[in-house]
Amino acid sequence: MPAWSRGPVDMVPGVVPVALLVARTDTHAVLIDGLLVYPTGFDFDLAVRRHPGLGRHHHPDPDVWHELRLEVRFADGRRADNGPGPWPRPDDDRPPDPPLLYQSVIGPDGGHVWLWGLPPPGPLTFACQWPAERIPPSQVELDARLVLDAAARATTLWADQAPSP
Amino acid sequence: MSASEPPEEPPEIAFRRPACVEPPVDVVPGIVPVELILARTPQRAIGLSGIRAYPTGFGCTLHLRLREDIPGEQSNFGAFNMFDDGVDPAGEFADYYLRFGVGFADGRKATNLHQRHDFDEGPAPDPPTLWLVRWEGYDRLAWEVNVWIYGLPPPGALAFVCEWPARGIPESRVEIDAGLVLEAAARAAPVWPDQPPP
Repeated sequence: MPAWSRGPVDMVPGVVPVALLVARTDTHAVLIDGLLVYPTGFDFDLAVRRHPGLGRHHHPDPDVWHELRLEVRFADGRRADNGPGPWPRPDDDRPPDPPLLYQSVIGPDGGHVWLWGLPPPGPLTFACQWPAERIPPSQVELDARLVLDAAARATTLWADQAPSP
Repeated sequence: MSASEPPEEPPEIAFRRPACVEPPVDVVPGIVPVELILARTPQRAIGLSGIRAYPTGFGCTLHLRLREDIPGEQSNFGAFNMFDDGVDPAGEFADYYLRFGVGFADGRKATNLHQRHDFDEGPAPDPPTLWLVRWEGYDRLAWEVNVWIYGLPPPGALAFVCEWPARGIPESRVEIDAGLVLEAAARAAPVWPDQPPP
C-alpha cells in the first residue's frame, strides 16, 4: 500500500488528548474519537452514537451509511471530505496533494478515517451532516497545535531504519 | 383484530448492550495522552496508545507491527486469534496466539485468554473484563486492534502485559499511573446531559 494511504507501519502514533463532539441532536451524536497522529497524517474514529432510548429498529438502512458526510478543513483553506470523487490509483507512486481523506470502514456506527497530511497551525475544523438521520450541518474546531504536538511524539520503532516516507 | 386491520407495528424496544462489552454510547470519553511500546524485537513490535476513559471502563488501541514480511509465519498476524481460534486441540493456547492483558494494583487482571461471548445470558461478569472491539489490518505488516476493558483500575500502578511466544516476544510489562485513567474518566462528559441515568 502506498505511504499516503495509511500511517507509517514502523511507528507508534502520538495521541491528541481530546475527543470531539461534532454534532448532537435529540436522537444522534457524531464524535471524533481516537485521534492518533503520525508525521504524515492522522487517523480517527468517526463515531455515530444513538440515544440509548431509541428503539432497536431505529438503525439506518445500509443505503444511507455513505450519506454521512465528513469534511476536514485546514486553516489555510485546504480541505478534504469523504464524498464520492476521484481516488488516486493505489499503484501510483506519486503521492497525491494532501489533505486526502480515506474512510476505511463505513457502517451504521460511523467508520474509521485516515487523513493524509498534517494541518498548518491554526484552527482545524471537522464538519459533518447526515440528512437521512436529520443531522444538520455541524462543526467543531480543534487547535491544530494539538495535532502537530502529537505528531512530534510519534515513535519510530526501529531507530536504525528511516521512518516510512 | 379483523382481517381488514393492518398488522400492528412491533413495539420499539430500547436496546442497550451490556456495559461489560463496549463503552457507553452516551458519553464523550476523556483521553489519556500516553504512547507506549509494550514489546519490541528486531523484527516485531507491539505498541499501545489512545486510552479512552469512561466511568465504566477504558479502551485503547494496540499497534501490532512486523518490520518485514517473514516467510512461513501465520498470514493472519495473530490478531484474529484473539477470538479463541488460536486454541490448539490439546486445549493449550497456541504459540502464535497474542496474549494481552491488564493488571490492576489490587491484583485483579483481565486478559484475552478469558473472554466471554455469552453476554446475553447470565449475570454480568465482575470487572475487570477485556473485549475485542475493532481490528483492522493493512497487510501482513500492521494491525490495529481496539480493546475495551470493563472496569476502572484502583489508584496505583496499571500494567499492560503482552506475550507472543511464536514471535519471540516474552512476557513484557509496561506500567502507567492509574491516576491518569481515573482523571480522564472524571473528564468524560455525557452526550445528552439532560438524560436521566439508566
